[in-house]
Amino acid sequence: MPKTILLIDDEQTFLEPLADALEYKGYRVLKARTAEDGLDILSREPVDLVTIDIMLDPGNSLSDVQSQHTGIFLCEQIREKYPLLDAFCISVVSDKKTIDKIRSLGIRFLRKGETPLRTVLNMMQSMLTGIAYSTERDKD
Amino acid sequence: MSEAEMPDAGQSEKINKIESENKRLREEIKRTEQERVEYLQNVSHQLVAPLNAIKWHIENLTEGRIGYERGVKVLRSIYSQASIAVHLAKNFSLMSNLEGEHALSSLKEPLEEVNLHRLLINLSNDFQPLAWDQKIDIKVEDDQFDDAPCVLAMKPLISQVFSNVIENAVKYSNQGSKIIIHGRYVLSSDTFLVSIKNQGIPLPIEHEQEVFNRGFRTADAQRKAPAGTGFGLYIARRIIESHEGKISALTENGWTVFNIVLSVKGLKGKARIRDA
Repeated sequence: MPKTILLIDDEQTFLEPLADALEYKGYRVLKARTAEDGLDILSREPVDLVTIDIMLDPGNSLSDVQSQHTGIFLCEQIREKYPLLDAFCISVVSDKKTIDKIRSLGIRFLRKGETPLRTVLNMMQSMLTGIAYSTERDKD
Repeated sequence: MSEAEMPDAGQSEKINKIESENKRLREEIKRTEQERVEYLQNVSHQLVAPLNAIKWHIENLTEGRIGYERGVKVLRSIYSQASIAVHLAKNFSLMSNLEGEHALSSLKEPLEEVNLHRLLINLSNDFQPLAWDQKIDIKVEDDQFDDAPCVLAMKPLISQVFSNVIENAVKYSNQGSKIIIHGRYVLSSDTFLVSIKNQGIPLPIEHEQEVFNRGFRTADAQRKAPAGTGFGLYIARRIIESHEGKISALTENGWTVFNIVLSVKGLKGKARIRDA
């Protein structure tokens, strides 16, 4: 049974190449466009790893969540409900306060635009297999 | 302090006034600075999204992670993302012109005959791949464009108006809906009317004017697309005004409609005067 990766991001432009690469690597990919959809999928599907965007449409039932910080809300929810779930934050947001907050929840933060896809894939693979991530593999 | 050194009531009132004016100005500078920082952050966020997609798509292609058939689609997507990056960069350049209090006419784009039908087809082709991601179909209705005269206008600017309105429609449309563009020459007023309508988040009646204000975004728009500057429609209005045209928007029966009216003869007459 392939491992399942859930991508929570409202930008199709971001989801598309990442999903292509993950499917090539043999993963099952699920996509959620809002925080609400993401939490809904997590509640009913077995997910091995999740990626989270920061600025995101919270969805209708979470309309009191500020869309600028939806990702932080999501990270907190995921840590509370699924403390052992591997999670990643990938975003263009780059202010220190947000990044520190995410990292304090034990969630890795990567910057969109700066992180090669290969690095993202290798980090995910190491999280899922438990084999330590090595920058050496980024050069493959 | 001797009595001579004590400021009289009139003077201290003046001092108070100056101090409160000083305070107000300092707060205004702070607010403007804050707006500028937020704007620049937004600009960078918006540009990074298509550029990141282009980089990752290219990585997939060069690393052989996708097959030929998918590869062709990916190349189309790269083209579309690049078009969007260009579109955004143009907006930012226009915005910096508007910020500098320059009238748009000082951009001195030459006036030329613009075939709006062809322009709208080209623009909808640019935005269609992005729209398809949401299963949105952009349709330019051809019939009424036939035999319509060209409009004399600053083409790159007019093109930016329509791309801003179309991009807006794509961004806020419901999944699986249609964007319909049609144009009509109105003989009685010698004007050209372009309507761009979509089904998506509604524009409340109280925001019909405001939506063209600098930086304005409705609460629904902010929720659906957190990364946005609220400048696209403002730029559109400024350009249309510099062409002595009109732009308006409303939601009716589930459709949000943007109407753009450009005078054909009006600008022509002006151009002739200027050329003379």
